[in-house]
Formats: sequence, C-alpha cells, structure tokens
Amino acid sequence: MLGQQIMSGLATGSLYALTAVAVVVVFRNTRTINLAQGDFAMIGAFVALLLLKQFGLNYYFALVLTVVAVTLLGVVVERLVMRPIANSDWLTLFTATLGVYYILHGLAGWLWGRDTKAFPVTFDPTPVNVLGTIVSEGHLFNMAWAASIGLVLYLFFKFSKQGIAMRAVTDDPETARLMGIPVRFIVMLTWAMAGFLAAFAGILTAPIIYVGPQMMDQVLIKGYVAAVFGGLYSIPGAVIGSLMIGVTENLAGGYLGSQYKTATAFVMIVALLSLRPKGLFGIQKRREV
Amino acid sequence: MITASPGAKPSAILGNGSAIAALKQRFRRQDAILMGLLFVGLALFPRAPGTEGWMLAQAAVVIIYIIAAQGVALLVGYTGLVTVGHGGFLAIGAYTAALLTKLFGVDILVAIVAGGFMSAVVGMLLGLVFLRLAGPFMAIGTLGFAFFIGTVVNNVPLFEGREGISLPPTNRLLGMQIGDAGFYYVALFVLALVTLFLYSLLRSGVGRAVRALRDSEKAAESSGVNRLFYRTLAFSISACITGLAGALHGLVIHYVSAEVYGDIWYSVDLLVAVVVGGASMLMGPFVGGLFVVMVPFFLDQLADFASILKGVVLILVLIFAPAGVCEVVGRPFRAWRRRKLIEVGRTPEPEVGQAITANR
Repeated sequence: MLGQQIMSGLATGSLYALTAVAVVVVFRNTRTINLAQGDFAMIGAFVALLLLKQFGLNYYFALVLTVVAVTLLGVVVERLVMRPIANSDWLTLFTATLGVYYILHGLAGWLWGRDTKAFPVTFDPTPVNVLGTIVSEGHLFNMAWAASIGLVLYLFFKFSKQGIAMRAVTDDPETARLMGIPVRFIVMLTWAMAGFLAAFAGILTAPIIYVGPQMMDQVLIKGYVAAVFGGLYSIPGAVIGSLMIGVTENLAGGYLGSQYKTATAFVMIVALLSLRPKGLFGIQKRREV
Repeated sequence: MITASPGAKPSAILGNGSAIAALKQRFRRQDAILMGLLFVGLALFPRAPGTEGWMLAQAAVVIIYIIAAQGVALLVGYTGLVTVGHGGFLAIGAYTAALLTKLFGVDILVAIVAGGFMSAVVGMLLGLVFLRLAGPFMAIGTLGFAFFIGTVVNNVPLFEGREGISLPPTNRLLGMQIGDAGFYYVALFVLALVTLFLYSLLRSGVGRAVRALRDSEKAAESSGVNRLFYRTLAFSISACITGLAGALHGLVIHYVSAEVYGDIWYSVDLLVAVVVGGASMLMGPFVGGLFVVMVPFFLDQLADFASILKGVVLILVLIFAPAGVCEVVGRPFRAWRRRKLIEVGRTPEPEVGQAITANR
C-alpha cells in the first residue's frame, strides 16, 4: 500500500516537474513568473485531442505536431506580448502573462466549449508489478516520458551551444550580451522551451484528468510550489520539489482524504518559506555580483 | 509633501500650527472637489431617472469591488508588495459576516466590522510569514494562501461548501430592514470612509514610511524606518479593507458559497483591477473595479469573449500605459497642478512612476 502510494506519487510528481521546470527556466532568464504556463499545456491538450479525434492521426504523429504547435505558441507570446515590455519590473511581466492566461482561457472556451472532455487513453490500464509494488502502466509511461525529457534537457544545457548560452544569460545577462550572445534570441528560445515542455505536460496530464479550459489550474499551482522549492533558479531543485509534492500529497490523499491534497502543497510551501525564505536550494549565489 | 518653501504664502506657514490648516494642506482642494463631486454623483445615482432596482444591486457590487481593489492598491501601489491572494481575505470577510448573520442574527453593522476585523487579524499573522519573502516568492505564497482558503471553505462542514450559506433577503441595519437601495448607501458609505482613510493614511507618517520602503528598502531602513512594523501594518490594513468588501459582498448577494469564494481567480481579478486602473493612483481602483465587474456583466452570454477582452485590454494597458489608465488620463491635470504649485513657490510632488515593486 505504502509503496504503491509512493510510486503513483512519483508518477504525478514527474508530471508536475514538467511545469515546474518550465516555470524555472522562464523565470531565471526573463524574471517572468509565467502564469500562462498551464494554459500552454491546456492548449496543447486541446490540439492533441483535435488531431487524435477529428483527424484520426496516429498518437506519436499527433504528439509531434502538438509539440511543434505549442512551441510556436510560446514564441508568438514572446514576440507579441513579452518583448515590448521586456525591460519592465517583474510585476508588469507577471501581469502580462496573466493577460495571456485570460486570452488563452477565453480562446479555448470559445473554440472548444467549457465542458470537460475525456482524452483517449493510449496505454493498457492493467497494473504491472515493479519491484514488488503494483503500478499502472500509465504511471510508468508518464515517468518514462518525463525522465527522457529530463535527459534531453540535461544534454541540451550541458553540451549544445544554445544551452550553454542560455545558462550564461541566466548567470548574467549583461556580461552574456557583451560576450556576443544574442540575448533576445535566447529569450525567445526560453519561451519556445516553455511551450515544448507545456505540450508534453498537456498531453500526459490529459488522460489522467480531463480536457477543458480549467484542466491545468491545479497542476500549475503545484508546479509553482515545486519551482519555489528550488528557489525559482534551480532545475534539479524544481524536479526534486515536484517529486516531493507528488508523493506527499498522494500520501495525504491516501491517509487523510483526497480533499486535503492541494492544501498539503500549500502547508509545505509555507513551512518551507518560513524556514528558508529563498527556497530549499537558495539563490544567494546569483545575487552576489 | 508638506514643505513650505521660502516663497510660500504667509498663511500657509502661519497656519501650520492649527489643525484646520494642516487638514487643508493634506486634503488639497482639487482632490476634495473631485472626490466630492464623485461621491455626490454616486449618492444621487439611485434618484436618477431610469435607475432600476437591479442596477442598484449591480452598482453596489461595483462599489464593493472598488473597496476590495483599494485594499490591494495599498499593497501593490504604495507598499510595493505584490499580492495575488486577496480573494482569500474577501472570503474571510464574507464568511465571517455570513456566519454571524446566520447563527446570531447580528446587525449588518456588526457583521461588516467583524468581517474587516477578522481579515485584519489573519492578515497580520500571514504578513509575518509573507513579508520575509522577496517579491516573486511572496506572489506565489499569497496565491497559495487563496488556494488554501478555497480548500478550507470547500471542505470544512461549517462553511457548507458548494451548497453555500443562504442569508435572509433583506438586511437589518440599526433595527431597520433595508433593501437594495439601502444597501447601496451602506456600500457607498463604506467606500467613502475607506477612501478618506486611505487618502489621509498615505499622507501621514505611515504612508511616507511605506512609500520610502517601496522606493528604496535600504535607504529607508538606514533612516530608521522599521520595515517589518510598517509592512505588517500595511498588510493588515490592506487585508482589513478587502475583508470589509468581502463582508459587504456576501451580504449584498445574500449568499456565500465556495462556488464564489473558493475560486482563486477571484484574487487575480483584484490585481487586474489595480493594474489596469493604476496601482498608485487615487482613482485607479475606481476605474479598475468598474472594469473587472462590468466587462463580464455586459458580456454575460459571451463569457469566453469577456475573458479574451480582459486579457487584451490588460496587455495593451501594460504596453502603452504601464502606470495604469488613470495615470494617462490624469497627466494634463497633474501638469497643470505642478505649474500652479511652482507659481506660488511650493515644491510639487514628484511625478508618479510605474507601480514600483520593492524587489526587482
């Protein structure tokens, strides 16, 4: 029972991680807390549903098209909304993403309706036995996806030219520009990455819950909480935070009652922030210069 | 700014001792005229031809939103702290008032004051946690608070979740039964009190202290401004004002349920109101409150379109009028006032900038 709770907590947590990592990546490169992150994912889920149901495409083909579409959405948002106000204070940037949130919410409701829809389940629901605990195949599927995306991101940041440039912008945008790094392009790439991660978050979350304009609201909040665990700067911190939240809320849901799931995340964040106001992995290093 | 420079009229300097002169300086005449006209207009609204009962109820909701937005503006505009969780205080005010009315049948005067007081207490306690956080962390923390309140009212049996608490169709004020028109005046009276209070507060030592902290935390602290004290005070006053609005809101719609107050995006609406209107402008919450209530109201059948419109307007305002609509509208007026002040030899106030946040 306990092992099972932990396993499914890890599976949920790995989905939160997709959102949390995107929140961190956008924040540390652009000072923007992106409230529209959940809505990118929501749009992704709708697009995937449309491709699967309406056009009857193959799951993986639909997945690729969705990823491309939502990545483009991220770029469009950066060009049309965020770039004109890029030098404002963070409240302005934050509120602008709120505007994007409203627009995408309204757009989804207008195009596809406010009622919730079921997303076709692509995997076999029969549970499998892993290391003595019973896990559903869907959970394994999600964890595998999240892990491989994590690996791709790791390789990107470690070895690719753009990834290294991105880290340079995170550390010090001013110096990065002086060194000839195209900061504006990197910022665009950052938003593209937010879209990329959101597409997967949407497609993988949709079968577990439903598809509808509100589908990602709860996930988004937990993504934030997880991002704060990593001090809003650390990607590994965000991943660890996500897994911790997934497991804790699942245990709380299992032993206290499912209505306490969300409140658990809040209690965790208040406890953490009152002990360590800048997150578990701190950002002290960044502000020294 | 109450500095009398060498060229000032003698009366301005001589009058400094008396309380009336000090008041005259604080409540500058133009502000008094503007606000006076506005409130007289609002007070005459129920008597205007063509005004019907439902309009008064709706107008009361607008007024209540303006009050709530003023609470948020005190934090976002003047204190430099960003809150995304004031819907939580709205809920605390509403449930306090509703439970007192339902269980004890108290007068609405008691219910409203209790709602504000309860919010202020919770605000003070939360302030002690949140104020340690740097800007973006505080925004997320307050959002979590709104979420927490939503979970509580959805699940704790006392609050009756989505069923909600129904209140009697008329409210009792000082022994009289009042309908929509009466309640409109109650809301207007609270709005006038809150506006007057905020106006004086922001021109008092407390107002100067919080603004100094907003503009430069280090400079203010090294001049002896107690950061924790003033910020906690501002947080708790802000929570109190929004709590008052919550109490009024529950009473005016006679129904308090998790359907309404459990929704965290309520809180976000308040931030939108403040940012659109102008966070550090006296009239900002008025314009913003009107905007966030009336756009969905007129586009009732087109809720999705209202959402899109709200987003587009918000983004356009941020790009073209980052300090809010009121800042742009009021520009000629403020330029005129600056000229006049310089003519009589007084130092004009510094221009308002953007809604400055404490931690960039």
